[in-house]
Amino acid sequence: MTFGNWFAVLVALVVAAEFVRMLRRRALAQERWRRFFRHRTTSWGLGILTFLVLVALAAPLVAPFDPNRQLDIVHLTNRAPSWTFPLGTDPLSRDVWSRTAYGARVSLGIGALGALVAVALGTLVGAIAGYYRRWIDSVLMRGVDVGLALPRIFILLMAVALWDGLPFAALVITIGLTSWFGTSRLVRAEVLALRQRDFVVAARALGADSGRVIFRHVLPNAAAPIIVSAALGVGNVLLLEASLSFLGIGIAPPDASWGNMIADGAPAIYTAPWSTLFPGLAIALVVMSLNAVADGVRDALDPRETP
Amino acid sequence: MLSAMPRRFHFSYIVLGVIAIAACERRGGCTTAGCGTLIDAAVTEPATLLPPSSEDIVTNDIGEQLFLKLADVGMSTNTIGDEDFQALLAQRWEWDGPLTLVFHIDPRARWQDGQPVTAPDVEFTFNAYNDSAVASPFRPKLQRIEKVTTRDSLTAVFRFREKYPEMFYDAVYHMRILPAHLLRSVPRDQWKTAAFGRQPVGDGPYRFVRWQAAQSIELVADTTFFLGRPGIRRLIWRFTPNLPVAVQQVIADQADVREQLVTPDNVERAKAAQQLTIYAYRGNVYTFLSFNQRAPGDTAKPHPIFADRDVRRALTMAVDRASLVKSTLGDLGQVPPGPISSLVGIWDPDTRQLPYDTAQAGRLLNLHGWRDHDGDGVRDKDGQPLAFHILVPSSSGLRKQYARLLQEQFRVIGVRVEIDELEGSVVAQRTGTGNYDTALLSRSNDPSPGSGITQSWTVAGFGGSNFGRYYNPEFERIVQLAISAPTRDRARALWRSALETMNADAPAIFLYALANVGAVHKRVDNVQFRPDSWAALLRTWRIPPERLIDRDRVER
Amino acid sequence: MTGGGGGRWLARRLAQSVAIIFAVVTFIFILIHLAPGRPCSENLDPRVCAQLSAQFGLDKPIVVQYWRYLVELAHGNLGMSFSLRRPVWDALVETVPFTLQLAGAALLLDFLLGLALGIYQASRANRLPDVILGNATLFIYSLPTFWLALILLLVFGEKLHWFPVGGASDPIFCPVVDSLYCVADRFWHLVLPAATLGVVGAAGTARFQRAAMLEVASQDYVRTARAKGVSERQIVLRHQLRNALLSFITRFGLAFPFLLTGAVLVETIFAWPGMGRLAFDAILTRDYPLVTASALIASTVVVAGNLLADILLGVADPRLRVHSTADADVVTA
Repeated sequence: MTFGNWFAVLVALVVAAEFVRMLRRRALAQERWRRFFRHRTTSWGLGILTFLVLVALAAPLVAPFDPNRQLDIVHLTNRAPSWTFPLGTDPLSRDVWSRTAYGARVSLGIGALGALVAVALGTLVGAIAGYYRRWIDSVLMRGVDVGLALPRIFILLMAVALWDGLPFAALVITIGLTSWFGTSRLVRAEVLALRQRDFVVAARALGADSGRVIFRHVLPNAAAPIIVSAALGVGNVLLLEASLSFLGIGIAPPDASWGNMIADGAPAIYTAPWSTLFPGLAIALVVMSLNAVADGVRDALDPRETP
Repeated sequence: MLSAMPRRFHFSYIVLGVIAIAACERRGGCTTAGCGTLIDAAVTEPATLLPPSSEDIVTNDIGEQLFLKLADVGMSTNTIGDEDFQALLAQRWEWDGPLTLVFHIDPRARWQDGQPVTAPDVEFTFNAYNDSAVASPFRPKLQRIEKVTTRDSLTAVFRFREKYPEMFYDAVYHMRILPAHLLRSVPRDQWKTAAFGRQPVGDGPYRFVRWQAAQSIELVADTTFFLGRPGIRRLIWRFTPNLPVAVQQVIADQADVREQLVTPDNVERAKAAQQLTIYAYRGNVYTFLSFNQRAPGDTAKPHPIFADRDVRRALTMAVDRASLVKSTLGDLGQVPPGPISSLVGIWDPDTRQLPYDTAQAGRLLNLHGWRDHDGDGVRDKDGQPLAFHILVPSSSGLRKQYARLLQEQFRVIGVRVEIDELEGSVVAQRTGTGNYDTALLSRSNDPSPGSGITQSWTVAGFGGSNFGRYYNPEFERIVQLAISAPTRDRARALWRSALETMNADAPAIFLYALANVGAVHKRVDNVQFRPDSWAALLRTWRIPPERLIDRDRVER
Repeated sequence: MTGGGGGRWLARRLAQSVAIIFAVVTFIFILIHLAPGRPCSENLDPRVCAQLSAQFGLDKPIVVQYWRYLVELAHGNLGMSFSLRRPVWDALVETVPFTLQLAGAALLLDFLLGLALGIYQASRANRLPDVILGNATLFIYSLPTFWLALILLLVFGEKLHWFPVGGASDPIFCPVVDSLYCVADRFWHLVLPAATLGVVGAAGTARFQRAAMLEVASQDYVRTARAKGVSERQIVLRHQLRNALLSFITRFGLAFPFLLTGAVLVETIFAWPGMGRLAFDAILTRDYPLVTASALIASTVVVAGNLLADILLGVADPRLRVHSTADADVVTA
């Protein structure tokens, strides 16, 4: 690691900490933010998440080596962590820290994309079902029942088996397409409750069309379950992507994803555990942080929740 | 509440008592010589145990215990004439003319259902191995035998098409004799899926007991075996998903044998395990990257990239094979001079091969129009990028690692590679039908180069094991001469010449030949690994009564 | 609880479950036919291909194919597995008990450990043990299952030799489970894989139960009981335990998809011969009849699990006969 790399990591740490601190200052002014930051873990979660996102964005700056470069296959395989290789090298003599940083781009990106598709679809379906009710609601919710009955990984395995040579982007979208059912239920429940409220009735009385009512009035107030779904959704998609890559049907070599790093390092786990340890920890940290932030959002936006 | 407590108390005591009693149930009764259980930590589960229908290594290992050959090579693995061959099913043999070989079946040999083994069984077996409906991968190896007939119930006659030094070897080595009376009624094109393959009946030292799908196959010794009672009573092949878990099982004393440890790490861990003895023996496996010279999916058309000899040469020169071996196998492997392993006596380190020279490789590619015209880091010609897929069986961690190493080696000279990891049977299917670009394949050698090289690298192997459809008439001419060479030295010189011709054509990149290192529980005596087939002499292994452990004593 | 009302509710739920399974069956059929190429992909033996064509009428119009598909399904014919060369039904039926054993043991561990942790944490709310445990459960809940599996196998299997390294049974003594010893042997083999799934589930349950306990603690009937002088312990045992059980049953319907997903990874790593591993091996051979059949069975298990949860809840407390347990907080699967 060069001085520049260390400096970049330090900058990322400082920026993450400052970002959290800045948000905490808001807590002094607003009740909601105060509730959000009530637990220490939320701050830590937000901080860790920010740091990892910054590392992912600034990967070329923090990573000393090309993540796919096999540095010296005879002498530098399975090296323990050292000053040159802070997280060691993997069985193919690639720098684990560089791969983790670039892998963050892939894994977090996929998590975000998958969650985006899932939440968008779930919100849309849930809102329509909750707003229009009657037969639309019935049909959509029966569909959701069916969707919830399908264990995701089997559907994904089916997709891989049927479409030979499925591009990974398509797989990510499929992950999103199979992950929206829970969100739709939650959004529907919120919308059902909200549609009776005065401001909605008023808007409709004023002649606003349904779409406007849904998007401008109902959904913003249903933010809580949507945001929580999104946060947890990213975590779920991340874990799913890691599982698929571990099974060998995810991100193709030589590109790094945290999941396929664990797969590549698994045969050497007895003699060189660092190549599986660090990507696994990274996944755990991200999912943990997302859960902590989701808890915080729940606390902040939904005062009915218990401590 | 008070009265409830004693009841709960008693109940937990009862449960504990039952478990304790159950645990004691394990003490078995077998305590003499001829007891013993040997567990092999195997990696891939075979599809069938019917010998002609499978090239699978575990099928072969189990086949060694269930079915007899007429005779087999000895520890020297000599294949010329009949020197050092061990009599098995055939009690004796003689030559009746230069092209006729007569075998006399041992009258004591019996199938496990009681029927005697007869010469018609031998004739039936030969016809089955040769039948295109059975589609046996061993068929090309028998092409020099014209026919097999019977003179009486215990005399089988082999007639050859031509005279050459390895006639006896070809007659006995490739076929395991099958029970005609049990297989005659099975339609030949259904042998691959026949029920007999999942519940075989043989004439060998061991009898089939059970096959627990995805878990284990169990064999028990035939105490009346006519060549001597096997030393160990029970053999179990236990299937694990991959090599690291199999090694883990042997180290944790949950298995007794791991015949191939493969990597230096595994050998280190096995050496550190107290209860294991390490055995090194000549390796019989070589691994290569096969270039498909025909278009994937259409064997009539040439492959857009690999039909060009110079492109193949360039790609071969771009790979630093020695470093790859050093990186993955350390001292436990070597770069072979051709499609051979150290088992085969013709290994000559001075055989001319293409050097590792990326500059030359680049020049050769430039010469043939493969340049990076669009600046994306990948060479291209007429709009087609120099990109291809490598097919790798997902069960082999070593080959998966090699695929990644090769990907990087090729990337450096501007070639883009995608890795397809599929199950072994799918890889076999796709290479068999010629539907691939390149594939990382492993083959095990027979003790003689003749049959193996003919099977995999000549026109006789088209539609069979010559997946890449390599054909060079000059090469085949030299191979023919080598097979019929009268002396060993002449044969060696001719084989060297043949391999040099093949290396110049670069039909494949020969990557490594493994040195075999196996681990066996130290209580087992008389461990002999015959290099061409480690399980061939399992029936001679013994566990002395004073060293029996729990799993040996079980009476089942 | 009137008998008629109860019976009608049950009939309705059953009908609903059957409808869902039917919809799943249809969805899978559609998915198969959306895929490009004939069902005979390049990886297959041409003879098997011909067999398939005849059996499923692959060259006939889609409606006829759908009908044939349903007919075959009704007869229990799930097709022929290319890779195993046996009927899919035979291959699957051997593996389903193993997966159920794994899921059952994991659920048991999940409930017992999660409940114990949740109660303990709630009783020490916001003090040091609670904070430590809270973070620990959060961490474990966030771990990738397959990573935990690798670690457990390394530490407890190889290094410490406490548990067997993979497999479901001792091949020598217990190829079939025919004695009490073999039952115990099966449990011994079950520990590590079930622990992997169960511990992650338990972490989630603990978090949930802790919150639920704290909510209940402040409710009127508990305060009343406390005021009446009933011992603290009895309050916990009688009221909160019952509610915890009910909420667990509510959530366990949702746990099934998670368990089946986790089962694929855990079974592959521990060589546990269950449905998940079979499905995954089928992927590597592109053996899609096997994959689709396992998707079908997995969905059926999920629906059955939800139905069972609903029935248990409905029996325990008729007030809880909601439309379906899955109405509850679903953002966990």
